[in-house]
This record gives sequence, structure tokens and C-alpha cells, in this order.
Amino acid sequence: MKYAWLVALREYAENAKTKGFWIGLLIFPIIIFMSFQLQFLLDKATPTRYVAVNDRSGNYMEAIEKELEWLHKRDIFRAFGEYAKKYSKASSGEKSQKIDFEKVPAVDAEAMMDQFSESNREVVQQFFESGGIEQSLQLMEPMLVKDRPEFEEPKYRYRLVPMPEIESPNDPKAAAQEMKAYLKGDEKITVDGEEEELFAYVQIPEDVAATVVRPGAPRMPTGEREGVEYWSTNLADTDAKDVVERAINAELRRAEYVERGVDFSQVEQVEKTYVPFVSLNAKKEEGEEEVSLADQIRQWAPVGFVYLLWIGIFSISQMLLNNTIEEKSNRIIEVLLSSVTARELMMGKLFGIAAVGLTMLGTWIAALFAVVFLKAGPEAELANGMLEVLTSSGLLPAFAIYFFFGYLMYAGMFLAIGSVCNTLKEAQNLMGPVMIIMIVPLFTMMFIPKDPNGTLATVLSWVPIYTPFIMMNRAAADPPLVELVGTGVLMVGFTFFVLYLTSKVFRIGILRTGQPPKIKELFRWMRS
Amino acid sequence: MSVTTVLDLQQVTKRYGDFTAVKDVSLEIPEGSIYGFLGPNGAGKTTTIRMILEIIKPTSGTISVFGRPSALEVRERIGYLPEEKGLYKKMKAWSIVAYFATLKGLNRREAKKRAYALLERYGLKDFADQKTEALSKGMGQKVQVLAAIAHDPDLVILDEPFSGLDPVNQQVMEEVIRDMAARGKTILFSTHVMQHAERICNRILLIARGEKIFDGTITEAKRTIPRRVRIETDSDIGPLRSLEEVVAVTAIDEEGIPLGAEQIGGPHWELQIKESADPDMILQSCFDNGIRLRRFDHTDPSLHEVFVNLVGEGAREASYR
Repeated sequence: MKYAWLVALREYAENAKTKGFWIGLLIFPIIIFMSFQLQFLLDKATPTRYVAVNDRSGNYMEAIEKELEWLHKRDIFRAFGEYAKKYSKASSGEKSQKIDFEKVPAVDAEAMMDQFSESNREVVQQFFESGGIEQSLQLMEPMLVKDRPEFEEPKYRYRLVPMPEIESPNDPKAAAQEMKAYLKGDEKITVDGEEEELFAYVQIPEDVAATVVRPGAPRMPTGEREGVEYWSTNLADTDAKDVVERAINAELRRAEYVERGVDFSQVEQVEKTYVPFVSLNAKKEEGEEEVSLADQIRQWAPVGFVYLLWIGIFSISQMLLNNTIEEKSNRIIEVLLSSVTARELMMGKLFGIAAVGLTMLGTWIAALFAVVFLKAGPEAELANGMLEVLTSSGLLPAFAIYFFFGYLMYAGMFLAIGSVCNTLKEAQNLMGPVMIIMIVPLFTMMFIPKDPNGTLATVLSWVPIYTPFIMMNRAAADPPLVELVGTGVLMVGFTFFVLYLTSKVFRIGILRTGQPPKIKELFRWMRS
Repeated sequence: MSVTTVLDLQQVTKRYGDFTAVKDVSLEIPEGSIYGFLGPNGAGKTTTIRMILEIIKPTSGTISVFGRPSALEVRERIGYLPEEKGLYKKMKAWSIVAYFATLKGLNRREAKKRAYALLERYGLKDFADQKTEALSKGMGQKVQVLAAIAHDPDLVILDEPFSGLDPVNQQVMEEVIRDMAARGKTILFSTHVMQHAERICNRILLIARGEKIFDGTITEAKRTIPRRVRIETDSDIGPLRSLEEVVAVTAIDEEGIPLGAEQIGGPHWELQIKESADPDMILQSCFDNGIRLRRFDHTDPSLHEVFVNLVGEGAREASYR
């Protein structure tokens, strides 16, 4: 065993020195960090987008203007909130209170957003009515640290600009053609004395009321363009369109209510009423059935783990393959085999490379949390909470076990492939089928949490080469004990079986030169 | 004999399916000898060496190294340089030498020290900290030889150590072998270049088509060929044929290869003489009979000739491959 250890040590030391290892090690944290940072940078870097509206009906201009203005006010309000939090005396001193994720109810993100912005509407309005930033700053002065930069209002995300002077604003087709020049940047609009590019052009025809779609009165498509036209060269950014569309439809509905003699203020009131809705899990203890945020983390965290598992296993098995082929093609293998047995060599390589992989995975996980922690504010609490949930849930030990066996299983296969090939090219031919087999868990990864104990999940769990991934995927859903133990035993047994066959193939294959063996020959080696 | 046997092979055979790579080879290598494995490519030299090192198992027969049935049991006493040379490209020269030494049981600090010392001694001091991919082929091979002997083994097995080396480095290689022999180590090396074997071996094993053909000292090997004298003359050599000491006369070409019976002989001839005969007597007889000689040669046969003689015409071709 001492010699296997020496081999492992060299494998680790040499692989840890390679550029590939360091790139792999650093790229992931950098990507995470960048994606955090990028979000921030993108928000800052995106220029104000100018929207021109040609409202021939004369009914909607005001509504759109109001909506965009409100959007901007909400941005200011949010920015001010963050500013106040950042520079308040409390946050630089003691830590804010920890959130207990077990108590936080699980929420549907979309529904939450809707509710939030609706209730915010009043808060935001109140804030500006009662004096806005200036007033608030005065009030909060004693609670803020002295050493702070001035509050800077965020710039407009979308801003309504007056229509540029065009020749025929009344003719929809001609107007749109003329506006094209502005949208394409051939002509500029003037805002506050500066030349700017127009982002979007909205055209509301005079007879827009005639094109309104109502239930019970289906309209046949006329083949002509109808209704409001939204023109832009950037159709990927749909925010501007959504805002305008929302404003127009809200105004349309308001008018409709009025026309039908309904009191609109009543409608507004009614629209804000709702009944609380709670999800409960029948499997949990009495009193704790409420589905909490922690439960959601537990449900979805395995997906992340499966992904890590896959990347980890695949990338380090690849490493193993490459360096087995190096030893073989360089004929170093012969010197090695005069000093160590084929089995010692194989074990040394398996564990040396496993250590490389674990270093990489460990660094990634650590970096993930480090980055999240480093960003002050609510994210740190989130990370803290997540870490607590993960450590208490048994997901980490499960991950370790499934990684260990999954790695040995695939590394065994790769090692066998490496030992019978002389060049990487030959190996790649054999790798093709293995790759196709390996990719399955990536496809099923997102479906399984939705039906973790369904037929697909159950069947795949019993296929040993998928057990680590699929069972990891299902880990949070309490799979039946029979399956947990059964698949586990099968996986461990299969792993040893693979390693046994690998050691047979490895011993013969590693010394062989010339063409890779035929399948028939491989079977003979395995039986010998 | 009080000399210990380092390596003992008894009727070792290796078969791959229908193909017999090594057939019934028995041999004993005494301590302190420089032992040459000679034979054409494909003769079974490398297979025999691999079996000795327990890299592959013999189909039948027994092998004992330092009295043990398994070479791996005594791995720290054996050093091995394989036929096909290769190194980890990304490793530094010293670290490769040290790594192989640790696999032979040396501790890491000692291994590092030895690696540097050896590299310095054989002129590679400036390359010790370089990655091996930066070394020339010859230097790489030297590094590999050093890696094989860094742990100061008692038995060194070198498979084709001279191949790929320039004459200067072949000289260095010979020195390395002689150095080790001088310190009482046993060296076994294989080659198909007879001159090297002739210069440094004291015992040889001739092997062809997997079978042992000869095993013994160089002198013994040369005695397998009858004593002969080679002459070059345009005169009629009739009178020599009738001499009592001359056993046979053969027409040969310039390189000493016998001509076929249908070819016309001359000017090169080979006279086989009796073991007891004095070559000077033949010379005397030439003068007496007025045979004008351009060349008279009664040197011992070279190992190459011995080899050709023992293995036959087919193997001669192979030996030059």
C-alpha cells in the first residue's frame, strides 16, 4: 500500500502543478463572482432608454407617462433604501438578526413580486408625498454614519421623450417608416440639449378603440396590422414593451369600467383583496407541516449538487484518462511496473486523481460561499441560512458518498479505456458511447425534483451507473428506505465489480501496444 | 563455486496464444558479472527481461531473483531501464530520478539528494531543474538510466541501453556499466549490437526465436567456431588444400560470407585448420608454394561471426534490422 500511496502522491503533486488544474480551480469562483458583479455592472452600465409615443387617439399618453414616472420613483425609493441600510450605524456595528429559514414560508417568487410591487405603490407614493429623499435624509441623519457619500439618484431606466418632428405623424404607415431612421440611429433625438438615440417607438392609431378585443366577440384577423405598434431594434429587452403595454391596458380597463358605470375606486379596492394561501407537507410532523423556505432549499439544492457531482466526476475522470495514456504512450509504465504491481499503480492513480478532484470541488464550494458572504447585506444572511440548512439536512454526507462511488465507477471505466488506447484519439473513439450514457442524468436533473419518487426516477435509480446522480437528485424527497438501501448496495457492488474488471483489463492492456483490443478480446481478459 | 547466483531461470516459457515468445530458457547469472543478452529483434530478449522483473508472468518455469520467487519482493535491489524510453514530459529531471528512487524504497529526502548528485556526476547539472520535455533525446535517455540506478541497486537490468545514443554517449553508457561492475554490482543488458557485448560483457546469452542458443563466457563462445585463417590471393591455392593441418577450404566473399557451390571462388578464401595447428605454418607453406598473399588474417572470430555461425543465415539478416 505504501507504493500506491507514493504513486498517488506524485499524481496529486504533478496534476496540481498543471495550468489546467489552476484554471479549473479559479474559473468557477471567478464566474460566480463575475455573475454577481456583472448584474451590478449591467444595472449601472445600461443607458437610459428613450421611448417616443405617437398617440393619435389621445387617450393613453398620460397613463404611459405616469407608469414610467412611477417606475423611476420606485427605483429611487429602492436605491435610497439600500443607501440607508449601507450607511446606517446598525449595519456597520452588530450583525443583523439571523433569519430562521425553517420559519420563513415558501413563496412563489412571481406571486411575491406582484404583491410586493402593488403594496409598494402606496408606500412609494407616500414617501414622495411626505417630502421624498430630502425629508427622509433629515429624519434619518442621527441613525446614519457621518462618513458617507451623497445619495445619488439612479438614472431613468426608461424615459418618455416628445415625438421628434416628422413629416406625416398622422399617417401610421408613413410615420413608422420615418421613425425607423431614429430607431436605427441614423437620426438622433434631442434630450436636455444632448443628442440621444431613440430606443423604442410606440404608435397608437386613432381608431385603436375599434381594435379592442372583448370576450364573446371574437374578431377575425383582417390580415392587416392592428392595434398598438411597438417598434424597436432591440427586441430582447422586453421591459419597455411590458411597461407600455401594461399602462395602456390598465387605462383601457379603467375607461371600460367607467363606461359600464362601475366605480373604479371600488374596483381598485377589490383587486387588492386576497386570501392567504399556505402549502403544507403531509409527511411532516404535526405543527411543522408548513412548507418553509428551508424545505424549498432542500428540494432544489440537490439539483446543484447533481451538477457539481457530474462536472466533478467527469472532469477528473478525464484527467485520469489523459495521464494513463501519457504513461502508456511514453512507455513509463514499464519502469513503474518493475517497481509496483499493476494493482498498486491503479489504486495510486485512482486516489491521487480523486484527491485532485476533491481539492477542486472543495475549493468551488468554499468559493461559492465566500463570494456570497463577502457581499454584505441580505445575501450573507441567505448564504448563512443555506449553509445551515445544508449541513443539517444530510445532503453533504450523501454528496460525499455518491461522489466517492460515482467517481470510482466512472474512473474505473476511464482507466480501462486509457489502458487499452495508445493515443488520445483512439480513446476519444471509445469515449463517444460513454459520453452519451453519461449525459442522461443532466437531462433528467431538472425533471426529477418535480416527481422525485415517480417511475422515471425510480427506474433510473436502479441503474448503478446512474444511482449516484439520480439518488442525489431525489435525496431531499425521502425516497423509500428499500430503494435507498437497495440502490446503495447495488451501486457499491457494481463499483467493486467495475474495479475488478478494470484491474484485469488494466494489467493486460497497459503493456499492450498496437491496436486497441476487440470486444471479444476484452471479454477474454476480464474472464482470465 | 562460492559465487552467489543472483538470477536463476529454470525452463522458463512464455506463450501468447499460439505464439511461443520464449521457449524453455534456463540460465544462471552469478553475482558481479556483466551479462549480455544477445539476439535479433523479436528473439525474446525483452519478454525474458519482463518476466524476470515480474511485469508479466511466465507460462511455465520458475524464476528466482536473489533467491526469491518474486522480483517485486526485492524491488529495492533491482534497477530497470526499459527498451522503449520515455519520461513524464512535465516533470523536472531531478524529480523524475527521485520519484523512481522512492518507488524503490528510498525516502524522499535521500532520493532528492541522490538525484542531484547523479545528475551532476553525469554532466546534467544544468538540466536538473528543467522539465524533461526540454531535454534532448540523448539527455532524456541519460536521465532515465540515472533513474534506474539512483537507488544503487545490486542488479541492474538494461534493455537496449545503447540504442539511440551517439558514440560519445555510448561511451558514457559503457562507463556507467563498468563503474557499477567495479563496485560489485551485477549487470544484465540486452543488445543486438555485438561490438558492445564483445567489449564489456564477461558472459553472454545468445537467444534466437525464443530459444537459448548459447550461454557462457566470450572465450567459450568464440571456441564454438573452428579455428580458421583467411587469405586473399590471386594464385592457385591447390597446394594448401593438401596440407594436413587444413580441414577444409571455402570460397568466401570480401566480408567473409561463404559463397555458394556454383560460384567461382577467389580471391578470398577461408581455411579451417586443426585446433592444434599453428597459423604461421600455413603462412610458411604459402611462401614455399609461391602463393602471393594480399592478405593473411588469423584473428579470432568476432562475436558477430559466432552469432551468425550459431544462429544461421536467417538470423544474420535479422541482426542488422
